[in-house]
Amino acid sequence: MKLKAISGILAMALILTLLAACGSKGSSENGSSASPSASESASASASASESAGSGDSGKPITLNMWAALDSTEAGKKTLAKIEAFNNLQKDVQVNVQIISYDVMHDKLIAAINAGDAPDLTWGLSEWFGELNKMDALADMTPYIDKWEDKSKIFPNVLDAVTVDGKVKALPNYLGIRALLYHKDILAQAGYNAPPKTWDELLKMASVIKEKTGKEAFGIAGKGVRSPQELMMYLAQNGLTVADRQADGKYKNTWADNPDQLKKAAEVFKFYQDLLATKTIKSDAKTWGWEEEDQNFALGQYAMVVNGPWMEGRAKDNPDTMKDVEIAAPIYSEKPATFLEVAMLFPFKSDHPDATWKLASYLIGKDYQTEINYAGNSPRSDVQATNKWGKDFLALAPQGQVFPPVSLSGITTALEDSLARAMLKNDKPEVVAQWLSDAINESLRKTGELSGS
Amino acid sequence: MRDMHRAETEKRPLPAIRLRSSISPREKRFKRIAYLYILPAVVFFILLNAYPLITVLWDSFQFKSLVNKTLTGFAGLANYREVVHNEYFRTALWNTVVWTVLSVAGEYLFGIITALALNQNVKGRTLFRAFIIVPWVVPILIAGLTWTWMLTPDYGVINLWLVKLGLLKEPYYWLGELNTALLTVVFVNIWRSFPFYTISLLAALQSVSRDIIEAAAIDGAGIRTRFWRIVMPQLKTVSLTIIFIHVIWTAINFDFIFIMTEGGPLHSSETLPIMIYRYAMEEYNFGNASALASMMLGFMMSGFILYYLISVRKNRG
Repeated sequence: MKLKAISGILAMALILTLLAACGSKGSSENGSSASPSASESASASASASESAGSGDSGKPITLNMWAALDSTEAGKKTLAKIEAFNNLQKDVQVNVQIISYDVMHDKLIAAINAGDAPDLTWGLSEWFGELNKMDALADMTPYIDKWEDKSKIFPNVLDAVTVDGKVKALPNYLGIRALLYHKDILAQAGYNAPPKTWDELLKMASVIKEKTGKEAFGIAGKGVRSPQELMMYLAQNGLTVADRQADGKYKNTWADNPDQLKKAAEVFKFYQDLLATKTIKSDAKTWGWEEEDQNFALGQYAMVVNGPWMEGRAKDNPDTMKDVEIAAPIYSEKPATFLEVAMLFPFKSDHPDATWKLASYLIGKDYQTEINYAGNSPRSDVQATNKWGKDFLALAPQGQVFPPVSLSGITTALEDSLARAMLKNDKPEVVAQWLSDAINESLRKTGELSGS
Repeated sequence: MRDMHRAETEKRPLPAIRLRSSISPREKRFKRIAYLYILPAVVFFILLNAYPLITVLWDSFQFKSLVNKTLTGFAGLANYREVVHNEYFRTALWNTVVWTVLSVAGEYLFGIITALALNQNVKGRTLFRAFIIVPWVVPILIAGLTWTWMLTPDYGVINLWLVKLGLLKEPYYWLGELNTALLTVVFVNIWRSFPFYTISLLAALQSVSRDIIEAAAIDGAGIRTRFWRIVMPQLKTVSLTIIFIHVIWTAINFDFIFIMTEGGPLHSSETLPIMIYRYAMEEYNFGNASALASMMLGFMMSGFILYYLISVRKNRG
């Protein structure tokens, strides 16, 4: 009998444990989002309370925000600014959960599907179309239209966060791409200025290799940066990845237009020429951003199209980076660069006013001047002081962004197209046709293909 | 007459009923306690195995995308069709076969060679036996990243050695070329897994009777004859077991390939598990991912049933 009782208690305990493990989070009064897990959160809020009631009831509204902060000085400074926001007023308090970009996208998709999205999150421009398609983003148009600083945001940056005439995201910081070159390597090869066009680069490459033993250029052939670079070269040849059609959906039109297909083929021919003429190292065709940045920082090759974050590399590698200068990216038909707009995504919730209050603080002049002073602010009135700032910022008007569609399949196709051109040695025309079909297939899968 | 006998037999009470009536209350209580004890296992099995498995099978016949909410409802065989018609499906299927067969064959070959060597009475045998296990105890993540570094063309030590020895003219990107990426990961996988074979086969080798081997030698059997006719037959059970386990483990392996190449370049090292990951975690298309996972489950079960049937037939024979 005793044994039976013990067995029963054990079984009950087990079942209760299982049920407890499967239980949901504590509910939020505002119904917007959960409080972060202890292991991952770093609360910037003075109050450790759960999401509280509305401001009307006298209690502050607690917003949950995800941010890809790190433990660097910049990360600490950003956290301090958010804490200052909390101290500045008591109506809205922010609870910051630190999540790296590597895992943030997956977590965000899962959270949205679970109805558990944060109120505001940092994010990459590549996610914009997808999150909009999921109908998860709040419309900030009424707020931004009334905002007195609207005109201070670069117009093309504001366009990048607008879809169907609605502002569905806010610009957090910019990652404008410019041509970085080692002045000393070019001087050693007898050049006092960097190339302006693709052809000039290819012509200079053999001289640089002969006189310095180093390659002239670097690219990313795989990983997250390779589609960004490819998109820039396509834009320089007058092409877009997908265009909005009359039915409001998108399509890659290269296959319908022989001239566009030819221009796309020219871009892949350029990549193949870089490899054939040894303008880039032979293994650069499979470099990711790490190899591209590291090898340039060590002075292993002369030039690269890269972002303002290379200032950090200049601090880490002062000897090999001291001769680095900044110019406009090389181009073919028209000057264009990739404009990476890191975004703030506001999610639908019961308290959009509070979300806007926080968002407008983050894109306000005070915050931007203190955090994004090195040429990566989306505001035209935040002037950078050093070359890493002003030279990059000068290129903002020619920046090109991805179309606002679900990009995961498209960026994979862009990456694969480079491998087809440089690893498989497919003909440029074949690669261009394949990429056009693959982009449209990806649009079809996500229900965004025009005519589908 | 036969019909009457059958009718009588049918009228008799069933033995099971008689047996049940003979169970004492004490036995009944023990039975109930026994059921209670296996309850946790049953609950775990249902929660952790049966439910996910049935969900995957169910989802494979549904349109299910986390990022496209308009795509819902019963899909029939559409997910299976889409997966089979994927441009890279055949490549992934072939890569899975190559990856599994070469890995398991290589592991077995290295395993048996090292087991035979460590079974000899050589000096430092205990030390070698201890060291041989090292690759197997290194976590896959550490092993994968370390090998990736060693194979890098710019600063990888392997390229440096090969160039210095004159075997290569210039560094080669083993993990970055279409024709070497998968084979390189296979090599690293063999390096990591063969110690398991070594240990298992060594244990089996030590149980092979020395008397029989000596008797065969006296009867004039050479080394090769003794190995193939006496030693190998006695390793058969162990060999088949570890090979069979490793076929399953290797075919469903995800981590090694993902750490070293992520299935690239251009899907040249992509296997079915990597493809399932892409569907689920990159495209968020759980319908397609479930269809491919179900197909893979089907492949594996077919292999298992085939092996079982062959074994049964052989045993009967």
